[in-house]
This record gives sequence, structure tokens and C-alpha cells, in this order.
Amino acid sequence: MTNTSAATSLPEAPVLDIDPFSDENIENPYEFHRILRETAPVVFIEKYNMYAVGRYEAVRTVMSDFERFTSEGGVGLSDIRKPGAWRTASPITEIDPPRHTKVRGALTKVISPIVIRQWREVFAAEAEKIADRVVEQGEIEAVHDLVEAFILKAFPDVLGVDMPRENFLDIGEMNFNQIGPNNELLKKSLEKVEPILPAFQRAFQREAMLPGGFGEKIFEAEDKGEFEAGTAGPHVRSFLRAGVDTTIAGIGHTLNLLAQNPGEWEKIKADPTKVRGAFDEAIRLQSPSQVMFRTTVRDTDLDGYRMAGDVKVGSFLGAANRDQRKFVDPDRFDVDRESAGVHLALGVGHHICIGQMIARLEAECILGAVARRVKRIELTGEPRYRLVNTLRTLEHLPLRLVAA
Amino acid sequence: MPKVTFINPDETRVELEVPVGTSLMRAATAHGLDGIVGDCGGGLTCATCHVLVQEEFLPNTPSMTPNEEQMLDFTAMGRQINSRLSCQLVMTEELDGLTVRIADPQL
Ligand code: HEM
Ligand code: HEM
Repeated sequence: MTNTSAATSLPEAPVLDIDPFSDENIENPYEFHRILRETAPVVFIEKYNMYAVGRYEAVRTVMSDFERFTSEGGVGLSDIRKPGAWRTASPITEIDPPRHTKVRGALTKVISPIVIRQWREVFAAEAEKIADRVVEQGEIEAVHDLVEAFILKAFPDVLGVDMPRENFLDIGEMNFNQIGPNNELLKKSLEKVEPILPAFQRAFQREAMLPGGFGEKIFEAEDKGEFEAGTAGPHVRSFLRAGVDTTIAGIGHTLNLLAQNPGEWEKIKADPTKVRGAFDEAIRLQSPSQVMFRTTVRDTDLDGYRMAGDVKVGSFLGAANRDQRKFVDPDRFDVDRESAGVHLALGVGHHICIGQMIARLEAECILGAVARRVKRIELTGEPRYRLVNTLRTLEHLPLRLVAA
Repeated sequence: MPKVTFINPDETRVELEVPVGTSLMRAATAHGLDGIVGDCGGGLTCATCHVLVQEEFLPNTPSMTPNEEQMLDFTAMGRQINSRLSCQLVMTEELDGLTVRIADPQL
């Protein structure tokens, strides 16, 4: 930790004695976030031998300055290049430019905005069906009855993979536990997925691709030499990992925040196009992907503090998104804030979420379908969060939908 | 404050004062220029803030990141030699007087 050659006159990043992955801090991260932001631009957490950043500008820097903060050590807490933690890197998230640039270009072709806009009708048709059903029910558990019902149908359909839908959630939980430390939560979710892992492995093989989905297009692009041989499967796998739980989380948070802020709901009723603003504002406040990791390439410094080389750095996106240095009245849910493109819930820089226009389209379709049918949404009990190391998502959201 | 002229698809012209550091996409949407959509807010993932830059200004514009380079191929109008995504054109003093034509269609 000591013995830096560069900038030795600078102070070392102060030690912060908090466990970001304790049950309490996962359930309610905001006090940890506040302390993280206020302590220093960068702190060191001894328990995990990691740095942590939570201020808006520092998070932007760590996420995008790949020459100093590489993704090639993995986007999780463990360094995938090291013995004991070694695994294949994700073929998109875990490589730096210039290698990343070519892969990103090929993926962009498969899911370009022009392609994505063609899915509107597919998503809308499914959304209308589900909205009809839940409005008729009146009192629902929204995570299961509404959000999961929609995403677990709509997303695998356009991706074109064949996997039992109920497997997605446990796999997702494992993924987002894996980005964090090897703790009890991870052990439990690994045990839980063991029986379904073979089905998961099959789901991203060529034979499992359904005709017309973009999974199939990824394999075709590999055949044409646009992706390195053998990476099509891992790409499909990355989409399964990155595109399901995050979107479920974001739509759940939007419903919860709209139920708790009737004034903002009124704005949506008056102008339903504002559901998009509501979704971006919800993922700003309740960032589904709470933290992504980079690794220091060498000794470096950040905003006047020294950092040692070859150490993991957690970029706490959720903390940055409530930094008052950037956002006025940061804890307020404001559907007119225009936070899209400003908040960091989707990352920033060259790795910025490539699926964000899919997520927004899904959100717009389902939230719009509900808003058109419903006069008010009310909580009928306490919302509960799922305990997952790095994913902020609801497990229970009891709602009453009052038909218009 | 430096000025930018936007030429709308219907050939009307709008001159805006744009603060240094603000992107042309933000300036246009804040002033209700409907030809600029800017769905993703500047994340280089929607390609709906497409503009054609008057050629004499091209050398003064910031260089393109690979993400912008790639997204321009997926604009609804199709890529032209002077195409840029206006979320990446962040105002500087040197760009004072810049004229851009708003691409059509965006979606
Ligand atoms: C039970 C066995 C496994 C364990 C414990 C494990 C562990 C992990 C961990 C900790 C991550 C990091 C999570 C993240 O950063 O997203 C990860 C991601 C990944 N793993 Fe595994 N892994 C296992 C099996 C496999 C297998 C069999 C493959 C290859 C066929 C594989 C390929 C990958 C890839 C490509 C990623 C990148 C994730 C992404 O961005 O989508 N893993 N794995
Ligand atoms: C609200 C929903 C979503 C959230 C919060 C989210 C969050 C993120 C974040 C934070 C990153 C940056 C990772 C990094 O820099 O290390 C990312 C990248 C990525 N996302 Fe998303 N995502 C969402 C939806 C989706 C969807 C629907 C898809 C799939 C269609 C997707 C696919 C990807 C992929 C493939 C990457 C890697 C891009 C790259 O490395 O160049 N995401 N996402």
C-alpha cells in the first residue's frame, strides 16, 4: 500500500471502516453513501482490500479513464487474472480499448437504435396484455405480477433464447452477488443455482437460439468473423446477465417512487410521455447496478490522494447519483429533472450501457400501459428490497391500482 | 455568449446563444427544437441528435470518440460526410457562429 513512486507527497486515501456489503448497508445504502462521499474523493476499505469512490466526478473518472483504471481485471471485486479467481473475461465489459472498440462496434450493429425501435410493437402488445390483467386484479404484488411478468416475457423473446423463465431470477441474483465479495449471500445463491446451472449453460449455446432473435444474429456475426471465434455464446450470456435483473429493478423502483410521490404521478397522468423521465429519475435514485469495479493499472492519484497500483476500485454509481455537488436537492424524485445522460446508473464512457435504449423502451411500454388505465397507484404495505451484494432491487411491492 | 444557428428541416433558422460547456443537443432540446430528439440524454446510444455541420467549422469541432463514430452509421437519415451527434458538440468560444443543419428524419 505504501512505497508509491509517483506523487509521494500526496496523502494516501483514508481508510474507511465500513462494510458496503453488510446486510444493513445492502438494504439501506444511503448512510454508507453519504459517509463515502463526505470522507474523501477516494477511500480504502481494508476488509476487501479495495478502494471506493462515491463522488460524481470521481466515479466518472474511474469508470472511463481506462489507461489508469482498467476493466481487464474484471468488473467484480475479485481480480479475474489472479490465481484462485481466474475466469474468462466477459468479451465486452472486461476488455479495454482498443480491443473493446471493435467488439462494441459489432454489437452496436446487432442492437442498433434502428433495430431496437422495431421492437416497440412487440413490447407494447405484451405490455397492454399484462396491464389489462393487473388492473383487473386491482391489488397486486407488483414485482412478480407486473414487472417480472413483463420483462421475463419481453426480453428473452427479442433475445431469442430458450430457458425456463423462472430460472432467470436466481441466475441474476448469483451474478450480482458475484460482483461483490465471497460472503454468505454469494454462497447461498450459488447453492440455489446449482441445479439449474446446466440449463443456464445451454441457454447461451448456438442450438438454444430461437429464429429471429438477436442472439441468433450474434452467432451469425461470429460466423462472418465480426466477433472472435467462440465469443458469441459469452456475448449472449452477457446480455442475459446485464439485461434482465437491471431492467426489472428499474421498473420496480419507478412504480414504487410514483406510488410514494402522488404529485409526480399527476404529472405522468397529464403527460404520459413523462414515464421516460420517471424511469431515468428512478434509476438515478435507486441505481440497480450499485457498484462496478475497475483495477488500478499502476500507482496513481485521484483528486489529491494517492492510490496504489493493482488494487480494485469500487465505483459506487448509486452514491454518485445522489451527490449534491452535481444534483440539486439530490434525494428528491423529479420526473422533469432530465437526468438521462447525466446520472451514472448506466455507466459512463466507452462501456456505457449498450442496452439502455432497450431498457427505456421496455419501461415506457409497460409504465405507459399502466398509466393510461389507472387513476392512482397506492402502496398497500411496506416495500421490501432483495438482499443481493451489488443489485438494488425490490422483492416485494404491494400495490393497489385504482382504475381510471 | 457564443451563438449557433440551427437550420430546421423546414428550412427555418433559429439562432441560439449557447453557454461554453453546454452541448448543442441540450441547447436545442431546452429551446424546444423538435428536430433534435436526444432520447438517451447524451450517452451515445440513440443517434437521434444527428446534425450536419457546415463544413468550414468541421476543423474546429472536437474529434470523434469511437462510440460516436460507430453510432453515426445507425442514424435514421443515414450518415453524411459532415454528420455529427450534437450531444458531442460541446460549445467553445472557437465554435461561435457555427451553423448546423438538423438531420431529418431522426427516428
Ligand atoms: C460455478 C462456476 C462459476 C463461478 C463461481 C463463476 C464466477 C464468476 C464471477 C465471480 C463473475 C463476475 C461477475 C461479473 O463480473 O459479472 C463471472 C462472470 C463471468 N463468467 Fe463465470 N463463473 C462460473 C462459471 C462460468 C463458466 C462455466 C463460464 C464460461 C462458459 C463463465 C464465464 C463468465 C463470463 C464470460 C463472465 C463475464 C460476465 C459478463 O460480463 O457477462 N463462468 N463468473
Ligand atoms: C435499467 C437497466 C440497466 C442498467 C441499470 C444497466 C447498467 C449498466 C452499467 C452500469 C453498465 C456499465 C458497466 C461498466 O462500465 O463496467 C452497463 C453495460 C452494459 N449493459 Fe446495461 N444496464 C441496463 C440494461 C441493459 C439491457 C436491457 C441490456 C441488454 C440488452 C444491457 C446490456 C449491457 C451490456 C452488454 C453492457 C456492456 C457494454 C460495454 O462494456 O461496452 N443493459 N449496463
